Amino acid sequence: MQSKYKVGLMRLNLWAAALLLILLAYLAEPLSSALLLVLASVWLMVTASLLELSYRRPPTVPWQLLPSLLLAGLLLVEPERHALWLWVWPALLMLPQPGWVLALSCGLAGLTWWRLADLLGIEQTLFSGLVLLPLMLLGLARNRYLLPSRAGARQRMRLVPGLPLWSSQQLSADLRRERARCRREGVHGELMLLRMPRGKFWPMAQELCRLTHDFENCYRLDHRTLATLLLSRNDDQAKARRQALLKGLRPNAEVRFVALDQVSTLDDLTRHFAHHQPQPQPQPQPPTERPNG
Amino acid sequence: MDDDSRNVAGRLIVAYAFSTLLLGCYAAWRYLMGDYSRILLPAALALVMLVACLLHVARPNQARLPAYLALLVGYSMLALELPWLEEAGIMWIGLAPLLTVLLLPLASAMLLNLFLAPVWLFLSDTALDLHFALGYVAMTLVVALVPWEQRRQQALLEATNPRDRHCNALACEAMHELLGSEYQRTQFLGQPLAVLVLHLPQLEMAGEQFGSRARQALLDALCLAVHRCSRRHDFLGRQGTATFWLVLPDTSQSGAQMVQQRIEQALESTVLVDTGTLRAPIAHCQRLPGESWPRFEQRLLELTRKLSET
Repeated sequence: MQSKYKVGLMRLNLWAAALLLILLAYLAEPLSSALLLVLASVWLMVTASLLELSYRRPPTVPWQLLPSLLLAGLLLVEPERHALWLWVWPALLMLPQPGWVLALSCGLAGLTWWRLADLLGIEQTLFSGLVLLPLMLLGLARNRYLLPSRAGARQRMRLVPGLPLWSSQQLSADLRRERARCRREGVHGELMLLRMPRGKFWPMAQELCRLTHDFENCYRLDHRTLATLLLSRNDDQAKARRQALLKGLRPNAEVRFVALDQVSTLDDLTRHFAHHQPQPQPQPQPPTERPNG
Repeated sequence: MDDDSRNVAGRLIVAYAFSTLLLGCYAAWRYLMGDYSRILLPAALALVMLVACLLHVARPNQARLPAYLALLVGYSMLALELPWLEEAGIMWIGLAPLLTVLLLPLASAMLLNLFLAPVWLFLSDTALDLHFALGYVAMTLVVALVPWEQRRQQALLEATNPRDRHCNALACEAMHELLGSEYQRTQFLGQPLAVLVLHLPQLEMAGEQFGSRARQALLDALCLAVHRCSRRHDFLGRQGTATFWLVLPDTSQSGAQMVQQRIEQALESTVLVDTGTLRAPIAHCQRLPGESWPRFEQRLLELTRKLSET
C-alpha cells in the first residue's frame, strides 16, 4: 500500500526538512523562535509518521491551520533572521484547505509583510509586496481544490482504499437504487444502523465489513455511526441474519434496523438514535423495525 | 474539466499580466530615479512577460512555455538585482525556490532547486554564513513539501474513485470488485447473472487519425447508448482501453439478448462526425448453473480476448 501512493520519497523529504528545522532551532538565539522552529519540526515529524494513516481521517482544520500560524509566529517574533520565510506564503496557498483558512493565511501574510517594513526600507517593502501579490495568485491558481468542479471531489466516495466503506453521499444514491431494485426483485432489504463510541469506530468498521457479504456495502454516516444494507431472500432469512449479526456486534454498539421503504432521507436516519437515546433500557430481544420519527 | 482549465487559465493570466505591469513600472521608476543603466533589463523582461501572457491567452492548454518564460524572467531579475541589494535584501533569495515550485512540476522543480542552490548562495555572497545557508535549504525543502502533498492527495483520490477517468463507466478495478460482489449476491438470492462484452474497434484508429476529441466522442456515444438501454442497477465498466463489460444482474438469457439487441440498434443509428457509424460487436455471457467464480471470470476474459481479436 505504501508504494502505491508514492509516499516513500515524500516521507524522506519530510524528515529532512524536520531535521534541518531542529538544527536551525539549535542555532537560533532567542528562546521563542527556537521554540517555534521545534514546534514546526514536530509538526513535520508527526505528519511524516501519520502519512499512512491519514487516508482514514482527512486532516482536521486545526492541523491545517498550524503551518500558517507557525510561519506567522516565526516571522513576527524575529523578522531580521527569518525574513526569507516570507516567500513560503504563496506555496502554503497551494494546499487543499477550507476557504476561511485560505483567507486567514492571506491576512497573516499581509501582517508579516508589514512587520518586515522596518527592516527592508520603503522601496523594498513596496516592491516585495507587489511581487508577493502575483505569486499568491499563482499559488491559488495551482490550488486544484478551489476549482468548482473539484470541490465535490474533496469528499472521497470510498473512504479507505481496499475497504468497502463508502461515504454518506454514496448511501443516498445507493438507497434510491436499492429500493427500486428490491421491489423489482422481490427481495427483503433493510438498513442496519450502528452507533458506537468514537474510539471504536475504525475497528468496528473493519469488523462490520468482515461480517457482511461483499455485496452489502457499508457506509459512514458520521464520526460514530455506520450503516449497512442487508439483503435477504425473505423475512425468515432476514430474522436469522439479524440475530447472527447482533451476536457479533451487540456488546460494542447500539443497533437499529430500518426497512428500506421506510427510509426517506439521511437526516432521518441519525434521528433514529436521537429519538431513542433517553431510554436507557436495551433493545427488545427480537429487534423490531422501528417506524420513522 | 473545461470549466476547470478555464478557471486556472484565468488566474494565471491575471498573475502574468500583473507581473508584466510590475516590471514595466519598475523600469519607469528606474528612469525617474535617473538610473539609466538599470532600465534596459526590466523593460526587456516586461516584454518577455507580455509574450508569456499573450501566449497563455492564445493557447491556454499549453501552459508549459509561458511558465518557462515567467521562470526565466524571475530568475534574471533576481540574479541581476541581488548584487545591488544591501544586507537586509538578502531575503529576496527565497524567491528562487518558490518560483520554481510554483511554475514547474514537482520532479523538475526539485532538481532545479538542488542544482541552483549553490549558485544563489554564491550570488548573494553569504555562502559563509552557515545559519543563513541552512535556513535557505530548509526553506527550499519545506516549500517542496507542498507539491508532494498535492500529488499524494491526487493519487489517493484516484485510488478511491471508482469511476473511469475518461468516460461515464466504472474503472477496471472497481468493476471487477463489483462484478465479484454481484456474482455472490445473485447466487445468494438465487438469481441469474448475465454479462455483455462490448468492443470498440474504431477507438484506437480514431485516436490516431482524428485526435483525442474524436476518441472522446466515441466513448461518450457508447456510454450514452448503453446507459439508455439498461436499467439503473446494471453497470458498465471499462475492462480494457477498447473493451467494456455491461453487468446485468437478475437477467435471464432471453432478457440479456433483448438488451443486446436494443444496444445494437441504438449504436447503428449513432453516426459520428469523424468516424461515421459506430461499430461495436457485442458478445453475451450467461452464468451457467453451478459455475464457480474463477471459471466464470475465466470464461468472460476468454470471450473478451476473442472479441477484440476479430
